Amino acid sequence: MQVRGVTRLFDEGRVEALRGVDLDIAEGETLAVIGPSGCGKSTLLQMLGALDQPTAGEVRFAGRSLSGMRDLAGFRAREIGFIFQSFHLIPTLTALENVQVPMLECGGTRASRRKRGEELLASVGLTERLNHLPSKLSGGERQRVAVARSLANRPRLLLADEPTGNLDTTNATRIIDLLLEVHREFGTALVVVTHDPGVAVRVGRAVRMKDGRVILELETAPGEGGR
Amino acid sequence: MTFLTVAWKNLMRRPTRTILTLGGIGVGIAAVVALTSLARGFEQVWRNAYEARGTDLVITKTTSRSPLPSPFDAGLGVEFAAIPEVEAVAGLMSDLMGIEESPTMLVFGWDYPGFLWDHLKLRQGAWPRAGVSNQLVLGSLAAETLGKKVGDVVQIEFDEFQVAGIFDSPALVENGAVIMPLPDMQRVTDRAGKVNFLNLRMHANQREAGIAAVRARLQERHRGYSALEAGEVAGRNTGVEVARGMSWATSWIALVVGAFGVANTVLMSVFERTREIGILLAIGWKRRRVMAMILIESVALSLLGGVCGIVGGLVTVKILEQTAMLHGKLEADLGPGLFGMALMVALGLGVAGGLYPAWRASRLQPGEALRAE
Repeated sequence: MQVRGVTRLFDEGRVEALRGVDLDIAEGETLAVIGPSGCGKSTLLQMLGALDQPTAGEVRFAGRSLSGMRDLAGFRAREIGFIFQSFHLIPTLTALENVQVPMLECGGTRASRRKRGEELLASVGLTERLNHLPSKLSGGERQRVAVARSLANRPRLLLADEPTGNLDTTNATRIIDLLLEVHREFGTALVVVTHDPGVAVRVGRAVRMKDGRVILELETAPGEGGR
Repeated sequence: MTFLTVAWKNLMRRPTRTILTLGGIGVGIAAVVALTSLARGFEQVWRNAYEARGTDLVITKTTSRSPLPSPFDAGLGVEFAAIPEVEAVAGLMSDLMGIEESPTMLVFGWDYPGFLWDHLKLRQGAWPRAGVSNQLVLGSLAAETLGKKVGDVVQIEFDEFQVAGIFDSPALVENGAVIMPLPDMQRVTDRAGKVNFLNLRMHANQREAGIAAVRARLQERHRGYSALEAGEVAGRNTGVEVARGMSWATSWIALVVGAFGVANTVLMSVFERTREIGILLAIGWKRRRVMAMILIESVALSLLGGVCGIVGGLVTVKILEQTAMLHGKLEADLGPGLFGMALMVALGLGVAGGLYPAWRASRLQPGEALRAE
């Protein structure tokens, strides 16, 4: 994935969330984006995930420009897995159903969706919680459901926006373990936005952002995310 | 899990709101069902009456299209009786009257003897005797309503009549009516020598020719009169037209009110779920699918409301039929077509009410929607 000169203005140009960001993420690479709040990390993540369009500049995925892509929803469904700070599960659906939501956009039979959902939840250690509503799950469990959901359509890129921000240390460690495990097992590229230096160290490569710009690129050694 | 599961669980999220909306739609659809079935029933009972009498053609004065058209000279019948294709002509005078303590009833004066009487079946007593005045017969429902037996006296306006017999008719309106020989009716209503309908029966297999001949004669010599075939009379009846108009108007009002109700509920639920819709869009749902989800919710809501409304309408009609006002005057026409129509109305208001919220939901920007609280 290549980011070239991406600028994003809000409020008719009064707010500059991103000011000419350049960034490359190789296939199967891991990257942590760190920086103070309001520095543009989350906006950058939305650009990478085609949730938002740059005011100027370009984002390319596997050589194709996102701005020229007609089916952005399809792109998100197939190529991107999102993990959010506040989990963003659908409150009326059970864990198993939440995991199947992205699969509805990619066909398959009811039975195959269910089977894949069960496998994914088993892989994040939630076999016992399939039919629980999010409100009946702990924060760590909810985030694990969200990780399972992000993997539903076998994406090539996982985007995690402060995935440990609402979790205690134990659960935070567990989620990062899980994300790195997914990365190693499936070769999924991983971008984690975080303000936790500990997380950045574990992920490996990191960029620091400030005032909408990438100001520093760090190669944290050795990085569990490296391949 | 399927796509429908998601929509269904959304509806069940706020059961009170869903039930209240169902109630609103239900009342609207119930009104449509009740009024339409009564309007159709009204038309049907009159059609049945003409069919039962064996009347092929009905002549009335066109100048008045009231349910009980203006009276005209009974002598006109003699002229039509002379047309070769015409087998028989019967004059009749009908009116609505309050009798003793009972609500308004239909009172007929029929040429006696005449073919009009042929289809009535005497249950008790006898037919009025020729030449004897102040005798009448009661339809079985009318006898029940008035609480009269054979031999009792019935006061109509300032005259007293003796109940000669009680009859059954295949037509509900006649069962609920009082029938007397024409001259008595003309005297009671102070319209000597007048009728307000002429019923004509044609010779077998000369029906079409007879109808044409009578129409030609009216055209030629009696402008201001019209000849309607039995099937048309009911439809042209002003009462039937009013009832039909009312049922249409109510159906439209129900549709519009219902659509606003559905739109309000669904729009509220879209606003509440802004972030969730953002999530769905973020994890790859197409706008089309979000739109379909909202529309399905809206249609499911209104169809369920429609089913409740049909049940409510049926109950309402059954209760109304038993009231003194309507008992014996009409029977609701509750054909399957009516339920189909009610469900179509429900479907229509579901789509109408759901379109705007669905469009709003599908226009959300996923990035912004995710930031919504």
